[in-house]
Amino acid sequence: MASVAAWLPFARAAAIGWVPLAKNPLPPPPFRTPTHGVSPSSPSTSTTSVTATTVGERRCDEKIIINVSGRRFECWRSTLEKYPDSLLGSNEKEFFYDEDTREYFFDRDPDVFRVILNFYRTGKLHYPKHECIAAYDEELAFFGILPDIIGDCCYEDYRDRKRENTERLIDDRLHEDEDKIQPKPQSIRETMWRAFENPQVSTMASVFYYVTGFFIAVSVIANVLDTVACGPDPETGYPRSCGERFARQFFCLDTACVMIFTVEYFLRLYAAPDRLKFVRSVMSVIDVVAIMPYYIGLFMNQKGEVSGAFVTLRVFRVFRIFKFSRHSQGLRVLGYTLKSCASELGFLLFSLTMAIIIFATVIYYAEKSVVHTKFTSIPAAFWYTIVTMTTLGYGDMVPKTWAGKLVGGVCSLSGVLVIALPVPVIVSNFSRIYHQSQRADKMKAQRKARQTRIRLARNATSNAFVAAKKHREQHADDANSPADKNLVNPFELQHHHLLQCLELTTDREFVEMGPDALMNSGGRTSFTAGTNNMTGLSRFGSPSSRLLLNRRRWWCCGVRTRGKNSYKYSTDRANNNNNLNTDGNELDAELDDFQLPLALTPRASTTLLPQSTSTNVIQPQSTPIVGSSLQHDVVLHSNADEPLLPAGDRFDLNHPLDPEYRSLLSRKANSLSTVYEHGSGQDAALGYPTFLYAQKRTLMNKKHYHSECHVGNSPIVMLLVLTYMPYIVTQSILYLL
Amino acid sequence: MGVAMVINTRIGGNTDYVDDGVETLKRYKPRSLDELAMRTKFSKKEIQLIYQGFKQECPSGTVNEETFKNIYGQFFPFADTSTYAHLIFSTFDLRSAGFVTFEDFLICLSTLCRGTIEERLKWIFALYDTKKSGKLTNDDFYLILCAIYSLLGNVANRHYDHETIREHTMNVFQKFDKLHRGYLTVQDFVSYCLKDPLIIQSIESLRTTV
Repeated sequence: MASVAAWLPFARAAAIGWVPLAKNPLPPPPFRTPTHGVSPSSPSTSTTSVTATTVGERRCDEKIIINVSGRRFECWRSTLEKYPDSLLGSNEKEFFYDEDTREYFFDRDPDVFRVILNFYRTGKLHYPKHECIAAYDEELAFFGILPDIIGDCCYEDYRDRKRENTERLIDDRLHEDEDKIQPKPQSIRETMWRAFENPQVSTMASVFYYVTGFFIAVSVIANVLDTVACGPDPETGYPRSCGERFARQFFCLDTACVMIFTVEYFLRLYAAPDRLKFVRSVMSVIDVVAIMPYYIGLFMNQKGEVSGAFVTLRVFRVFRIFKFSRHSQGLRVLGYTLKSCASELGFLLFSLTMAIIIFATVIYYAEKSVVHTKFTSIPAAFWYTIVTMTTLGYGDMVPKTWAGKLVGGVCSLSGVLVIALPVPVIVSNFSRIYHQSQRADKMKAQRKARQTRIRLARNATSNAFVAAKKHREQHADDANSPADKNLVNPFELQHHHLLQCLELTTDREFVEMGPDALMNSGGRTSFTAGTNNMTGLSRFGSPSSRLLLNRRRWWCCGVRTRGKNSYKYSTDRANNNNNLNTDGNELDAELDDFQLPLALTPRASTTLLPQSTSTNVIQPQSTPIVGSSLQHDVVLHSNADEPLLPAGDRFDLNHPLDPEYRSLLSRKANSLSTVYEHGSGQDAALGYPTFLYAQKRTLMNKKHYHSECHVGNSPIVMLLVLTYMPYIVTQSILYLL
Repeated sequence: MGVAMVINTRIGGNTDYVDDGVETLKRYKPRSLDELAMRTKFSKKEIQLIYQGFKQECPSGTVNEETFKNIYGQFFPFADTSTYAHLIFSTFDLRSAGFVTFEDFLICLSTLCRGTIEERLKWIFALYDTKKSGKLTNDDFYLILCAIYSLLGNVANRHYDHETIREHTMNVFQKFDKLHRGYLTVQDFVSYCLKDPLIIQSIESLRTTV
């Protein structure tokens, strides 16, 4: 019997709570319930009879049969009683005793049970490597065996896999929460910030992204070409650089680039949710460093002197190339790796320094006696040591004495060793992080498909109920209705009866869900409109669905109504308005291949659907329980923190993130944001969760972006903008000057 | 109603590695089948069935509120079950421990399925009375109605809002509060329900076998 069906009686029994409040009387149950008279005598008689048999069976050491999903295991009773704390060793197994076949029946995985039974036999619990860690944990929990008694042979493996799995789940939850927390941006600031952090939000954003990238490239190339020799100076005859020859043009180009960068910086500064944090972030510092030399140069030029400092400032212009890291995922991964390998790099540096000092000292004293030696002091010998240890060997400084040559040989050998040691650690770090970001992109694509299937399945449940209701209404007087009842299984009957009671209590009806209604339910806020709702209803893809809806329409139709509708959404929310109909015109413009919203059900809730739902969807039954069982260990502690609902005027359906989730999120967010420090991911305020999303996005932008960007007219628009904009800008500057 | 055994162990780890910290697994075992059969009005077979289902969903032997939410989430698609599950959970969790053991669960279920009408009505009263004050006010009714409406999810044919619920609350409360005192005690509630044949009949219709 499915456990869902086992809980149905409980749900139905609890439904008597609706009865006094019902607007309409509740219908009779769908089948004749055998009236169980309340007779205290009957349980006790059955008890005594059973106790007689159980007592009779408790002879000393007999074989007991355990039937696990059809596979029969036999063992002595004393074997099981070795561990009285577990299910099999205690009398808890009596709950699973089947009197007819006189065996214990468990509806669990027989392969894992084999391992567990071996534990009883041998005293050692092993972890089968081919088994999924989550399934294994679940079985252990079911049979009441604690994982820390896994034998030494298998414990390391178990722990590593468990840690990896937990991290992956946290990671995925982080992604889910990002998708979840996407309310429609309320202000221009938020829109802009989203556009900056996440170029595929709108076409404007991606245009901006490409344009800035283009200008960075132009600026860098201009810097480089600035110094190329361009023909002899007509006055002096010496060769001069292109920068001197075409000074004016280069200046215009530089000005144009700097203007664009400045505008971009100030726009980002304006849009940033936490300006102080933004100013301190790495990217912002790079931006400032990229544009400051120009302005400093302007001011200094007015003084009329070209000093060495001015030239130095020009060097800083090369920092513009670091602005590319916003555009390139690989660069960011590299930067993040270096940051995370800081300790290894530090070790490398320290050991090298030690070695350099030692060898430089030795070789200085060895070569001191040579006439006209290049090793004039120990610091001078540093250069030789560095060049030798890194196996460069320029040859500008060479030892002449045999002692010096010996030292030089030892130096180069040890250099190879010292440098080769920390490198693999850095490489493995890089590879791990890179693969993580790849996986994140892949998971995102898969998750969409999966959420779609889940939503379809849920949809089907509701549709099945409505269809059954219609059928019943139609055939209310027909003679063949009893026959139909026999065909339908009792579980479904009971479930439908329960839903019917709910309908009658509240005087509402469940309706058929079509694809447009699917968008509807995803796209609307719940009835407590006005509060920024993250719970079940709006959780079902509402902001991101609107996101997707909007995006699709912009690209596919280029219709102007997008702006109007989004305004409507924000006013609806503001006015506590809950119109079903406003979705109509937006949905009408929807095209054939609509994208289903990212339904955002918490994973644990997508568990066992009633088997009666007739869908083509294969719903994996086992995976989601993982979420709930993993949660068990954690939630048991934090239940006390769950806030009791205020029985006050304003009913708040806000379900705050569990404290553990929030701390996990913030921990994870912290670890990812160390390089980039964008946005305030720690903002628990529901108003700004987009920034957490944006924060993670910076790490994994590029590939995903490309996979989604090909629709409609956007490339042509962008191409046009790209070709004409720099031309326009430079021309305007030339005219101005 | 005690708990048979608590097994409390630490999954420790080496501290020089980054571990998730210390996890504590609690596991609750109910007392014997015979005892439970004596204490509740279920037969042994029924208890066996219920336990098997219970254990499947919660292998650790206890139910917490999150599980309740999920279970209700399966029965009411598209619903936001958190409020309702919380209310139901608090009636089961008589010790306010944050979790419900199988014994608590079974005893409550026995009241609901096999109890007398008065017992069940008292359970309903406890369900509504979230503050455990012994009196029901308008706000309590409003709360439970909000929870029930949120079970509908978004698929109802007529949408609802605060106004609808408030109206419903007022209608119902006025029906019950004949003396216009502003609150209801247990006796008022039970006596009113006993007098209304529709309510009795509806309650009977939800009686189920296991």
